[in-house]
Amino acid sequence: MVVLKEGMCPGLDEGLLRDLRAADIKTVEDLVSSDIERLAQQCSVSYKALFAIRRVLLAQHTAFPVSGADLYEELLSSTAILSTGNPSLDKLLDSGLYTGEITELSGGPGSGKSQVCFGVAVHVSHQLKQSVIYIDTTGGLTAGRLLQMLKTETSSTQEQTEALQRIHVFRLFDVFSVLDCLYSLRGGVLQQASVGGGGGSVRAVIVDSVSAVISPLLGGKQTEGMSLMIQVAGVLKTMAKDFNVAALVTNHVTTSGSGEVQPGLGVSWSHIPRTRILLQRAENAAAAGRSGLRTATLIKSSRQPCHIKEEFDLRWWSRSEGGSSSGKRKLEETDS
Amino acid sequence: MGYFTAGNNKAMLLLVSCVAMCDSYFEKVRAELYLQGMLGHWSRRDVWSCRQQLAGQMQRPVSSLSLSPSVKVKLAGAGFQFTAELLQFTPAQLRAETALSQEEALEVLQAVRTGGGEEGAGAPLTALELLLQEEDFQSIMTFSSQLDDALGGGLPVGRMTEICGAPGVGKTQLCLQLSVNVQVPQCFGGLEGQVIYIDTEGSFLLQRVVDIADAAVRHCSLLVEDDEQRAAVTTFSVETVLSNIFLVRCRDYVELLAELHLLPGFLLEHPRVRLLVIDSVAFPFRQLFDELSQRTRLLNSLAQQLIAIATTHHVGVVITNQMTTRVRGSQSQLVPALGESWGHASSIRLLLHWQGCQQLATILKSPGHMEADIQYQITSAGFRDTSQSEQPQSKRPRTHSDQSAATQRDTSC
Repeated sequence: MVVLKEGMCPGLDEGLLRDLRAADIKTVEDLVSSDIERLAQQCSVSYKALFAIRRVLLAQHTAFPVSGADLYEELLSSTAILSTGNPSLDKLLDSGLYTGEITELSGGPGSGKSQVCFGVAVHVSHQLKQSVIYIDTTGGLTAGRLLQMLKTETSSTQEQTEALQRIHVFRLFDVFSVLDCLYSLRGGVLQQASVGGGGGSVRAVIVDSVSAVISPLLGGKQTEGMSLMIQVAGVLKTMAKDFNVAALVTNHVTTSGSGEVQPGLGVSWSHIPRTRILLQRAENAAAAGRSGLRTATLIKSSRQPCHIKEEFDLRWWSRSEGGSSSGKRKLEETDS
Repeated sequence: MGYFTAGNNKAMLLLVSCVAMCDSYFEKVRAELYLQGMLGHWSRRDVWSCRQQLAGQMQRPVSSLSLSPSVKVKLAGAGFQFTAELLQFTPAQLRAETALSQEEALEVLQAVRTGGGEEGAGAPLTALELLLQEEDFQSIMTFSSQLDDALGGGLPVGRMTEICGAPGVGKTQLCLQLSVNVQVPQCFGGLEGQVIYIDTEGSFLLQRVVDIADAAVRHCSLLVEDDEQRAAVTTFSVETVLSNIFLVRCRDYVELLAELHLLPGFLLEHPRVRLLVIDSVAFPFRQLFDELSQRTRLLNSLAQQLIAIATTHHVGVVITNQMTTRVRGSQSQLVPALGESWGHASSIRLLLHWQGCQQLATILKSPGHMEADIQYQITSAGFRDTSQSEQPQSKRPRTHSDQSAATQRDTSC
């Protein structure tokens, strides 16, 4: 739906525009869907002229076909698979996060969603030397933890600093500022990055969590929430596709009537991510006391059979420290 | 996505116009074939660059702006879908085009210009800058050295912490203790801040605050080593502690929500506030709700508001939550109240519970710390380590370890 303007196409002059307005034709959509013959009589212009204008407008606003062979070639040259840095998760995701797609992590409180996001951010920025955009909507991003993860990867302060500098953090707490941010990213930062190419371009956008900004709008008598949710989904999708970045989002979970745990935000959102993973505390671990063991279940994927499960340990990312001492390690670092 | 919009690609446009304006049918078909041929011969790179160009120009829908629904409906009625179409308008012109009032038109144009611009979302921080920021912020001591250890120095400023627990386990006591501790002078390793205490249950006990403050003041006076600390102790008294606590009594959820809307202004006037306590968030929300989805929505927006306050004003937010029983088949389980989605709201979740005759604090979730169980006790002086538990030797700054040693002394006598 675009408003008709003078000079949009040859033949659409001021006089005709005025006539069209009088006939209640304001937008391209109106013109395209109107009965041309009747309109020609109403505005007293030639049928041929109106027909030509419509053709130009249609051609201007249409999508154009690309051959599958070209797409395949493009896919080979521009798609990347970003490893999450954790072998079990990589196995579940068919070797990692694909650029151009939205991957979703869902799970209850303390199920390790943010930890996986941290791990991915650190891995992409340090191992793959690419920039990461991290949109934090829950205030959960702890740079101290990122540093802790980095320290297990490298002992060089220089490399740690560089890796941290490649992680760009936005802290936004409502849906409109998230939308502002995503649109301006698409118009600005990512555009430059993709044109510039080379090392250090943005390859991953992480939104932790997408449900935190959307769920305040859903429920009750609000109707706008749905539309805003789809807006967020749309901009994330086009961004992922057009700039070849991997989008990783997190979602909360709800428990259905039968006691089954499923990702939140309802059915319409469930169509948005290409791959969905459900994180849960490992059942046997709950009995054994505190541990970082989690199970990840693949609930939607276009590549792998669904409902395959993998078990992994959140302490993987701080492995060389040896388990429970990590909390203390951090204390030493920040204090000294 | 490869939608053409006007003026995107001059050559394309020209070509398409040619086809459309051709007079004879024969000519048209030929031109069309030519056009198709052109597209067919476009190399991958051409298609790619064209798509890149288009993507950058892809416009932002008006409906994604932060405007009231009625304004959006009016704009859509007048045929405006993308913000770019509104950019050239003056308020008067926009009023003529649409059914908007003068103020609404101004508001729309403002939203279009700030929201669509590059600077709309503010500059990002790098994780390195964030790390430096985090190191600048101190944590609020709990006076239980083991819990401080597990949390990396205490409850963090700039984050939201939730304390859950059954009645009588010490949630309010911990809140009162934190309200006093946040005021400890800087030379003793404290934050010398003020506190806003939102009381919804009517459980704020002044007598307990006096006890706890008295213990903390005595404690600091025992630690005095140099002149700076001596000077600080003279101003750190029970009276000043009490005068730095702003108590807000909210009787129902409407009062609570209204108070939170006014808080940012209050915080600007009182820049020394470092702690916001809500005791408890569950109480006003566990009553008088016919529709559960409405409650969830209100709670979620409350959570986002609190997180925003915590981050922008560098305030530690501590909220308490009650427990509820969840029945699963034949088993019942005690879980934090307010539903599953509320669990995502806080960054750190502490569960206080009894195990036999011991009181345990469990870190249920935290982005930066391991899960842990810590023993504690509530003494007349406040929240403390259990005296018999072994103190793990850890590297802490001197002031801290002095304090914790003194804490032990206090609790044992």
